[in-house]
Amino acid sequence: MITFENLTLKYADKLAIDSLSLTIEAGEKVAIIGTSGAGKSTLLAHLYLLLKDNAAYCSQKQGLVDGLSTYHNVYMGALAKHHWVYNLANLITPFKKPLSEVNDLCRKLELDFHLSKKLSTLSGGQRQRVALARALYQEQSIFIGDEPFSALDPIMAKRLLDLVFARHETVIMVLHDKSAALTHFGRVIGLSQGQLKLDIPHGEITSNHIDELYSGSVAEIVPETLNHA
Amino acid sequence: MAADVTKHYPFFSYWQKVTLLLWLIAAVFFTLSDTEIISLEPWSELLRMAEGFMTPDFFATEYLLESLWQTVSFALLGVVGGLLFGVPLSFLYSNRLVAAFCAVTRSIHEIFWALLFLQVFGLSPITGILAIALPYGATFARVFNDILIQAPHTTTQTLPANTDRISRYFYGRISHVLPSILAYVRYRFECALRSSAVLGFIGMPTIGFYLETAFRQGNYHEGAALLILFIALIGTIGYWCRPKLILFYILAGLYTLPTIPSVDGMLLWRFITVDILPPVLLHVEHWHQIDLNLVNQLLSWAQKLFFTQALPGLAITLLLALSALAMAHIIALFSSAFSSRKLAGPVLSSCVKFGLLVLRSVPEYIFAFIFMMLLGPSMLPAMLALALHNGALIAYLTVRQSDTLEVSADYNGRLDGYCYEVLPQIYPNLMGLVFYRFEVILRETAILGMLGVATLGFYIDSGFAEIRYSSALFLLVCTAMLNIVVDMISRRLLITNINQQMTCSGNHQASPKTLGSAC
Amino acid sequence: MRLINIVALLLLSTLSSAAFATVFTFTAIPDEDESQLRTRFDKVAEYLQSQLGVDVRYIPVKSYSAAVTAFRNNQVQLAWFGGLSGVQARRLVPGSEAIAQGYEDQFFKSYFIAHHSADILPSENFPNLNGYTFTYGSKGSTSGRLMPQFFIERNLGKKAENVFTRIGFSGDHSRTIAQVQAGAYQVGAVNYKVWERALAKGIVDLDKVDVIWQSPTYPDYQWTVRKGVNETFGADFKTKLTKALLDMKDPQLLASFPRKSFVAAENADYQPIENIAKIIGLID
Repeated sequence: MITFENLTLKYADKLAIDSLSLTIEAGEKVAIIGTSGAGKSTLLAHLYLLLKDNAAYCSQKQGLVDGLSTYHNVYMGALAKHHWVYNLANLITPFKKPLSEVNDLCRKLELDFHLSKKLSTLSGGQRQRVALARALYQEQSIFIGDEPFSALDPIMAKRLLDLVFARHETVIMVLHDKSAALTHFGRVIGLSQGQLKLDIPHGEITSNHIDELYSGSVAEIVPETLNHA
Repeated sequence: MAADVTKHYPFFSYWQKVTLLLWLIAAVFFTLSDTEIISLEPWSELLRMAEGFMTPDFFATEYLLESLWQTVSFALLGVVGGLLFGVPLSFLYSNRLVAAFCAVTRSIHEIFWALLFLQVFGLSPITGILAIALPYGATFARVFNDILIQAPHTTTQTLPANTDRISRYFYGRISHVLPSILAYVRYRFECALRSSAVLGFIGMPTIGFYLETAFRQGNYHEGAALLILFIALIGTIGYWCRPKLILFYILAGLYTLPTIPSVDGMLLWRFITVDILPPVLLHVEHWHQIDLNLVNQLLSWAQKLFFTQALPGLAITLLLALSALAMAHIIALFSSAFSSRKLAGPVLSSCVKFGLLVLRSVPEYIFAFIFMMLLGPSMLPAMLALALHNGALIAYLTVRQSDTLEVSADYNGRLDGYCYEVLPQIYPNLMGLVFYRFEVILRETAILGMLGVATLGFYIDSGFAEIRYSSALFLLVCTAMLNIVVDMISRRLLITNINQQMTCSGNHQASPKTLGSAC
Repeated sequence: MRLINIVALLLLSTLSSAAFATVFTFTAIPDEDESQLRTRFDKVAEYLQSQLGVDVRYIPVKSYSAAVTAFRNNQVQLAWFGGLSGVQARRLVPGSEAIAQGYEDQFFKSYFIAHHSADILPSENFPNLNGYTFTYGSKGSTSGRLMPQFFIERNLGKKAENVFTRIGFSGDHSRTIAQVQAGAYQVGAVNYKVWERALAKGIVDLDKVDVIWQSPTYPDYQWTVRKGVNETFGADFKTKLTKALLDMKDPQLLASFPRKSFVAAENADYQPIENIAKIIGLID
């Protein structure tokens, strides 16, 4: 489905991704792990850039609109499916069909309040689920998520992960929860300082691999911070 | 030198520097201004004013309800007109020509727009509504554009990739800023009420028509009543101006508009081809009559006007406006603190808030008028009037923000707590308002020109009074230039710093630069 | 649907304005009391309507220059102008005529008033005003600006701005009195009728402010009619109008101006005003 070799990405002066080569096949469920600053989000954003025609992206930044209702925030996932006149009219008064669809979806995500509720009144966990709902409502074959469950409890996170798996052929997700990565994903990719440090198919991974990844990178960073001090 | 200051005083922040600079400049300008106090025995007149306010006469004014309604109607239709004109322009605002056009339009006071339109449309509601719509539209264009620029881009990044441009724009950008745009329109409606009243000073059938006459002729019982009504009108906007009623008001406003005299296209033509030409060009009938001698005459006309009116007027305008700005800043700083619920008790805060309502509702003209009785005809009354009015407005807008701020759990509610927790959060916004108001103060010196302070507005008013439209227009152009320069400077001061703040808080994330990628 | 309504409304309003085009419209600003303008002058309109047999309407204006503009744009066909504004209006609409003036306007005058601290004694001769502060009335006023400036410059032999240490425009005769009485200005020039009315109302404290000089007389307020009224309103309309004005005897109507009665006038009566305005530099 997608392949790249020796990818290098930079922010103004900082190296984010350092000559990375990767292939992801359609149908794979890929988890990306690594310490903060390892380049996970950058890699994910880049993947979305390449796959965007068939992918729904649930970014860490959420991109929610505080001034709009919950319904409208979720509906935004379907903007591409309709004519702009329909979209604008829907902004003024919701149409019945999308309203009931969004309602069903939100029930599944345990957003049990009236959809006219302004987004600014929601809690952090609720907001994250609204952002997830928007991505799900796009109904694409690929789901790209950047820690989409970070503000949720593990039980709900697991249930929602199943929902995402059920609705998408391919899933690429950055996770902070190592155990979920181990148990649910067919493939785990580990990044450290912009480089690929780990790429193991399901069944072969043990938590040792992961611990090595985290401790290794820590060991590499420590001397540098000491130098600064 | 700035670098030195930063080096020796590392905690001396940007805003402290700007504040100090503002005060220094204003102090110099204040000492250069004419601030002599020369009223010897103002008491008998002030006593009559006080009596007027003790026993206001609400029945002295003819057609009172009509004039109140027309004040609302002109303001509303003016704002609607401004929106029709400003919203499309706000999308084109990144174009320099559009921005310059808007800056020029904004820089001319409503009164002068009305005096210009008066020549073309006569005493017609079109004159009044256009006089509000045009400068307001230009302001809307700029402010909406500013607000739109600040809308976060994160939403458009999460929208489906094939979303069409219009849906993307409305859902991803406009919906973010719509609440602040609506709040701004609401605030401008309040301003439009004031403008509408002020247009009465030159003959529109609003409350200002009677207000100005009453004060000018010393009918203080009537004047006080009108002023109280006007303050009440502004203070109760929230009650009578419901969103659901607005359409009704607009239709009613259109329906009850005073009769529009038929518009004569020849008047416009005459205004452009005859009225606004310098006197030496009036007798020119063919292009080939233009020779060196004529150009010389024209230059000496412009030169005389520039050195005898424009330049002195410009100097007085700047002296007055900058001194007033610093005073307004101080007034805003203190009154916003004492009307904030974070610092003052409920009683004090409500009292100061009521005071702010009165100060921001009363047109500067009336303040200047009263201070002139008290302090004599120097620049001081005008300064105080501008400072009080604008300071109250800035304080009002600042308090709206500070009252909704979150403070930490151990906030102590004292002045020190306020200065640590609240002030740093509201100060950049307060300074932004101060700089924005400078443009407004410059414009408003015009009205005080009508009271006899020799600002640019004074000379422009004289031009209109003496039916010398060419001089008036020449001076209006000078005013516009001054405003554009001021606008550029204040934008530079603000934008540099707002950018710094944004990068610090991480709102602006640098986009990743792709060096090499192979798919 | 709503849009159609609005468009219909706009169309209607333009139609109605076209219907008003045959209404004879006039304006007037009295030199003293400007309160209740419409109520008072609607009565004058009623009177004229009964005398002329056409619809007559009054529109209120705020300033002399606004009156001149309305006159020039044919928004009003008749106006009660001050001396200077009448001259300006007739220059802008050639063929217009001054047809009547107030009885008092044949020999109008200005008073120079001074605050007691200025120590200027009342005199027949023009006082030495060098070094004082001074306020006019409004910029376009004949009795509060034009004539005073002329007398100052003629009698003292230099430009007014070189005579005084500070010159102001109070905007109104009542203001001039109030400001000189408060000591804000040492000397001021007022319309004599306004001064006498203020005196009668008891708002002048003669210990603080008094008249120090009376100007020679000059012609002031007048009715000016626009050229072309005969074509619009009937062949002898101007004659009928003049007669109606001169015949206005109702004291209540006359009190609005306020004048004892109206007497005949012609453009030539105001030639001195025009000459003076040119000398002062108020018209080119």
